[in-house]
Amino acid sequence: MHRQWNLSVIDSPRPVVKLEHVSKRYGAFDVLKDINLSVLPGDVLAIIGPSGSGKSTLLRCINWLEPANSGIISVGDVTIRCEEVPEKSRLTALRRQLGMVFQSFNLFPHMTVLRNISLAQERTLGRSRKEADAISLNLLDRVGLADKAYQYPVRCSGGQQQRIAIARALALDPKVMLFDEPTSALDPELGLEVLAVMRELAGSGMTMIVVTHEMGFAENVSEHTMIMAEGEILEYGPSREVIRNPKTERARRFLRAVNDR
Amino acid sequence: MIETLLMGVTWADVKTWLPGFWNGFLISLKLTFVSLVLGVPMGLLLALGVQAKTRASRLTCLALVEIGRGAPALVMLQFVYYGLPSAGISLPAFTAAAVALCWNTGAYTSEIIRAGLDAIPAGQKEAAEALNLSRVDELRFVLLPQGLRIAVPALMGFSILVFQGTSLCFAIALPEIISRAYDIGSMYFFYFPALAVAGLFFAAVCIPASFLVEWFEHRAGAYSRR
Amino acid sequence: MTGADAAHIAMGIPMTLGLTAGAFAIGSVLGFPVMLARSTGFLPLRVAVIAVIAFVRALPPILWVFLIYFGLGSGLLNLSPFVAALSAFGLIAAVNMAEIYRGGMLSISSGQWEAARALNLSRVSTWTDIMIPQMTRVALPPSATYVIGLMKDSAIASTIGVTELAYRGKQMSQITFEGLSAFAVVGVCYIALSLPVAWIARTAEKKLRAKVAR
Repeated sequence: MHRQWNLSVIDSPRPVVKLEHVSKRYGAFDVLKDINLSVLPGDVLAIIGPSGSGKSTLLRCINWLEPANSGIISVGDVTIRCEEVPEKSRLTALRRQLGMVFQSFNLFPHMTVLRNISLAQERTLGRSRKEADAISLNLLDRVGLADKAYQYPVRCSGGQQQRIAIARALALDPKVMLFDEPTSALDPELGLEVLAVMRELAGSGMTMIVVTHEMGFAENVSEHTMIMAEGEILEYGPSREVIRNPKTERARRFLRAVNDR
Repeated sequence: MIETLLMGVTWADVKTWLPGFWNGFLISLKLTFVSLVLGVPMGLLLALGVQAKTRASRLTCLALVEIGRGAPALVMLQFVYYGLPSAGISLPAFTAAAVALCWNTGAYTSEIIRAGLDAIPAGQKEAAEALNLSRVDELRFVLLPQGLRIAVPALMGFSILVFQGTSLCFAIALPEIISRAYDIGSMYFFYFPALAVAGLFFAAVCIPASFLVEWFEHRAGAYSRR
Repeated sequence: MTGADAAHIAMGIPMTLGLTAGAFAIGSVLGFPVMLARSTGFLPLRVAVIAVIAFVRALPPILWVFLIYFGLGSGLLNLSPFVAALSAFGLIAAVNMAEIYRGGMLSISSGQWEAARALNLSRVSTWTDIMIPQMTRVALPPSATYVIGLMKDSAIASTIGVTELAYRGKQMSQITFEGLSAFAVVGVCYIALSLPVAWIARTAEKKLRAKVAR
């Protein structure tokens, strides 16, 4: 027993994303209040909560799209102290480990689907055009869009664009994938095809942090769920537990409102 | 009334004027070409310069833009042609005109290009950042291709204004179209007919060009709405 | 160049402002009927107005100034340089303001017309109560930009002897042989004059926008 306990300490993997006391303000408004969070490799974490709760901001702070005001952000072996302005090289090292998928896809409209996926591979990882394109085509096949490689994004449906955006992020071999409401801009039907890709990705062992309104995804796919409101974490734990038996009244109110729809 | 204005000028008279007008027209075209070929890249540099991180380059570019846009083109022409000699720099009329109009073009097109860059949705910049593209790559592959494409109709419209602006070189005795008309007018007192012929040259270029720009704008709008 | 010389140039400011304001006033008033004619359902009139607008815009301002001052002046009607310049810039301003008004009108969603008709408002009331207030908000920024552009174009009046800023600058450069500083003073005057216009326009726009902001 003693031995086993010891072993579990030694074996317990280090978190791949860790936030310590992270806070962010817009003027006098506290968007994030003293957030602490660790995500283990292979974990899938869903972040839910009412709009304006700070969940998207939290996600965007992790890859420094929005600078936090204080606290410590670590991803892999890169640590950023938010009070300081990080050097460019450190930001690059941070973002290299993170893939990001946006609510509005943000594909580059003036490039073919293939160029969208290959560009950053060539420019940031130094892959050759041939290498990058081979990887891109492979990923397109994986998200079921091999036939779209030479089309422009405008020719693709929203669901297809989002799957391409996922492929674009995956092409850079991230350790962690961040999803910022990936299905919110989509019709329910098109959202399903994106969710299917995400489910497959979760099954393959990818570490994912997903800001979402999809309760089904939170409950059935993600291992952990976090509920946020007013810049604070209300609940955190195994998904089923958090969603079925929330401890706080505020979280219960939110979940009731979601279910009543 | 028309007869009073035409002053008995016949088609045969107009024919004898045409070679002179044609040469003046070519000067205007050449000047437009030079102003655009040098001025638009300058505008691009200024557009990037006013967003530069170093204060000195930002302020220099801002001053160049604000003076170029704030002072009338006529005054800039006179400044370069009549003013610079008192600083020991004498330029021939065409060169002086090119310098002044390039400055003017650079200042205006920098604003057009900046507006084009600003019109790109913020998500594009974020995506480039999230993909870890360097600032230079972000500009080269993501922002400039889209921003310039947005700016094209406005740049085309501005080209028409540059062509019209060459008429101001009358003030520095460059023999472009208006100068030719004025000379004929003052020599024989045939002001109205001579100026009317000059007007036909401008109308022949600018009316089709402006409809072309409008059509292009319409198309660009339809494209971006897709 | 002395301070007195600079002051001599600056004394052209009232003339520059007068010419600009006068032409803008003419353009703002005439621009409205031109805009209405431009948008009429009566095809021949609309085509004619489109053609006139295209023609007026196709010729550079200096040509309109010359056509009116020298062209009409040689035999038909003799106008003073100021009146000739005012007519030329008034004409140009009218077609440009018509286009600005039209932009404002097009920006109003068709639902507003339908709502006005559904509420049984008269044509006049539809314009004065519904359309014009909304058009003003949209047309204000381009109008302000246009006034500044018009003021700079008004320098062209110097070529026919209107004693405004550019004319006095040229005069001073010939008297003092210091073209550099003379034209620099002129340029600074124009820039200084355009700053308050830009500021007023920005403030007014902010106020108007705040009124309809959610």
